[in-house]
Amino acid sequence: MTEPLPNLLDLDRVIHEPARLLLVALLSSVESADFLFLLKESRLTKGNLSVHLTRLENAGYLSVEKSFRGKIPHTEYKLTPKGAAAFDGYRRSLATFLNKKKRE
Amino acid sequence: MTPSRQGDMGMDIDAAAKRGRGYLFVDGLAEMAGGVVFVLVGGVVLLGGLIPGESLMARIAATGVGVVIVKAVGLLTAVLAIWWFKDRFTYPRTGYVRQKRIPFSQILAFVRNAFLVLALPLFALAATFVFVPHMRGALSSIPIWAPALLGVMWGVPCYWLGEWAGLRRFRLLGMSTFFAGIAVGVGLLLIGWPGRLASASPAQMLGRTFAGVGLLSMICGAAFVLSGLVTFLRYRKENPLPYGQEP
Repeated sequence: MTEPLPNLLDLDRVIHEPARLLLVALLSSVESADFLFLLKESRLTKGNLSVHLTRLENAGYLSVEKSFRGKIPHTEYKLTPKGAAAFDGYRRSLATFLNKKKRE
Repeated sequence: MTPSRQGDMGMDIDAAAKRGRGYLFVDGLAEMAGGVVFVLVGGVVLLGGLIPGESLMARIAATGVGVVIVKAVGLLTAVLAIWWFKDRFTYPRTGYVRQKRIPFSQILAFVRNAFLVLALPLFALAATFVFVPHMRGALSSIPIWAPALLGVMWGVPCYWLGEWAGLRRFRLLGMSTFFAGIAVGVGLLLIGWPGRLASASPAQMLGRTFAGVGLLSMICGAAFVLSGLVTFLRYRKENPLPYGQEP
């Protein structure tokens, strides 16, 4: 009897989008990072990056901290526990799906 | 999506997750600073081995104090210099990353494990020396195994750091350190130092051990400085100006 495949449609669609997946992955291993780091690493445009960060923030996956470094405004982004759990869940689901596909 | 593409995607997620961890080393400054401290410490140990002292204990104490001072002053200066330079050079170019705080319990566990890994072999060695007289001869080869042991002790964590932070050059530096330790030990064997140890005095043996350890520390430090310099030049070429000031 064959086991049912995990349903790909159940994957978290907020994270599944490649740009947001990259942003969440970048933030997963650090306490927080600023806009410029995410901009340079993702190679997105400023506008595009802002849109994706806002989407993640609205989903409760990111928290934003605004401050000043000297006289320059500084914005740091941090993955929330909900975001970290969603990223772990997404990786597990994808890995399970890919491993099952590989065994077939 | 083909299976190979799916596999690539998995690797890319891992690589992205490691990116932030290795950000401290993105500009090569930490490597250079660490390398300079290693070279200085190596120099002090090497001098401690070459300069004749009044007594064995006086030479060990003088070298030990020198190493502690160089390490303390060097590390403090390095941390301050890196912090100052990154604030003015790196963060305006490629951004700021705050690393995860390590819980105190994790630090304690690391110190305990490190102590066990380092202290147990030394206790075993001391016990062998005291209780098994015919094994004492093995200690006469200390100029060979001291650099080899240090090569392992420095090389393995360096390789692990490279693996953890996704930095290939640290894996290479770890392997180089590992083999440099063995090479220095074997080199001393080839020039005949341990062969003549039967007739060597404790002071001569100490000098040879210090020379080997100091040489290894200087070689490893120089490799770190070189690696850091290459990384720094590449970083500067890729990011010549702060963000927003590019033409």
